[in-house]
Amino acid sequence: MIELRGVTKRYAVGPAPGRPPRVVEALRDVDLVIPEGRVSAVVGPNGAGKSTLFGVLLGFVFPTEGEVRIRGDSPRRYMRRHGAAFLPERFQLPGEWTVRATLRALCRLEGLRGREVSVRADAALARLGLDDHAAKPLSTLSRGLLQRVGIAQALIGMRELVVLDEPTNGLDPLWRIRFRAIVEELRDNGRTVLLASHDLAEVERLADRVVLLEGGTVVDILELRGENAEPPASRTYRLELASPVAAITEIFPTAVHLDEEGVAAYRVEAGDATELSARLAALLAAGGILESIRPEVEALEARVQRVLAEGGGRS
Amino acid sequence: MNALGLVGLTVAARRRRLFALVAFGGLFLAAAIAARLLLRDEHGHVDLDTVFVVGGYPLASAMLLMGWVLGRYPLIATVVLLAGLFSHDRSASYARLYAVRPTSLLGVYAIRFAALAGAAFLLSAVLMPVFDLLLLGTWAGPATLVLILAYVLAYGGLMALFSVWTGVDVWLTVFLAIFAIVWNALDVAGVLVVPPGMRDVISFVLPPQAALLRLEEAFAGIEPIPWDAFLHVAGYGIVMLTLAALSFARREI
Repeated sequence: MIELRGVTKRYAVGPAPGRPPRVVEALRDVDLVIPEGRVSAVVGPNGAGKSTLFGVLLGFVFPTEGEVRIRGDSPRRYMRRHGAAFLPERFQLPGEWTVRATLRALCRLEGLRGREVSVRADAALARLGLDDHAAKPLSTLSRGLLQRVGIAQALIGMRELVVLDEPTNGLDPLWRIRFRAIVEELRDNGRTVLLASHDLAEVERLADRVVLLEGGTVVDILELRGENAEPPASRTYRLELASPVAAITEIFPTAVHLDEEGVAAYRVEAGDATELSARLAALLAAGGILESIRPEVEALEARVQRVLAEGGGRS
Repeated sequence: MNALGLVGLTVAARRRRLFALVAFGGLFLAAAIAARLLLRDEHGHVDLDTVFVVGGYPLASAMLLMGWVLGRYPLIATVVLLAGLFSHDRSASYARLYAVRPTSLLGVYAIRFAALAGAAFLLSAVLMPVFDLLLLGTWAGPATLVLILAYVLAYGGLMALFSVWTGVDVWLTVFLAIFAIVWNALDVAGVLVVPPGMRDVISFVLPPQAALLRLEEAFAGIEPIPWDAFLHVAGYGIVMLTLAALSFARREI
């Protein structure tokens, strides 16, 4: 279990042209427990303190106040003894290093020896589709390929704690889907995964639990999966019919007609897939001809917007 | 040690700097070969009197300047190769990727320091004797290696310490090196207008220029090695490395 108690982090920021020196409070009195064996996501606007939270948790920076414990150890002690898988927001290593040499060197830092080094490095290359790029220097790789090297180096040690900062940055749609499978595999293997992302749809697909940060404070924790999961908030869909149906407001009481030329378009809400199916069946029975339906706003996004608008559920 | 896997990559990442240092050293060797071909005396050596007769003050000054710069090649190589040892890794976030491995981060950087300081020593240990052999037909013997080692230890330690503390490690080290040279010259000339106690403290904190000069004189005059001077310099370097290691444990990454 990872525990943060009353963690505050202040930085002194030096003077810049037109700006005097100042102190920035990146984290403010954060109390947080991150359960083991689950996928937790940290979301929040830019400057919310996500990367600082990860920095404190992994022992890169020291809290100004408060304490962090990972299974009872200080972060630095935990890292020295057990290590962690880590992907920074902007992964980079010296551009002269080749992909294969980088992974092999990091395997050695993971404590691997002899043949195990090349076996593990080659497996990581294959898993992230990097075989054809193994001999290339890092400086020649595209953003997406470099991100895959970053994911490969993070997972190479098979660590219990996995911390990924914006893991899908630069990944193409295919590799986003493959990355989801990797996270699901980590969850199935009981790893503790902590990720930060601006992509709320991606977070909703991956995470069991969402920590919402704003202004360095935890404003809410949303349970998406598991026994404490909150019932999903109603989802909003864009519905297009071949022609208007009078009964729509009876079937979808909150339906809003969208004033668009040539299309009978509505914004409708349904709590879950069963409710949506039942209401659509009623609509079809009432003579409606369905042309298209698609989610308009992801539920998590709506919840995050609501919590931020309300000024935080926990504060 | 797990960090040994990084040695090859550490050197690879400094490839351009190594090439630049080799090319810089090559200039000295080319000058030595040219001088040997054009200015050698009946014994086959290049004598400064001959140089003066052929080229006057400009050529003699150039040769002396070249010799002075060559004497500082170990300092230059050390500063160039160790620049940003930790500070650049910290600013580029490389250090974070090493810090999450189950190994000692201090060990990682100790090995990287040893690899780069070793490269600075090797480059200098090849260049300086070869230059002497080309120009003078002889070399200064083990005093050359002792002088190189002294420079690498003193300035390597200083670079390591500043690299842990700040991102301007090179500028601070170069500033202190120049300051120490000027300070020592003024001290020897007896023109320092500083109270004796303060003068001693400043001389103690600055890179040990007086001791390095004694080693250089032994090297230039092919005299016995002043081991007390070497121990002074080595002690200074070890103190700097110890301070770097102590600061490292408390440094945010």
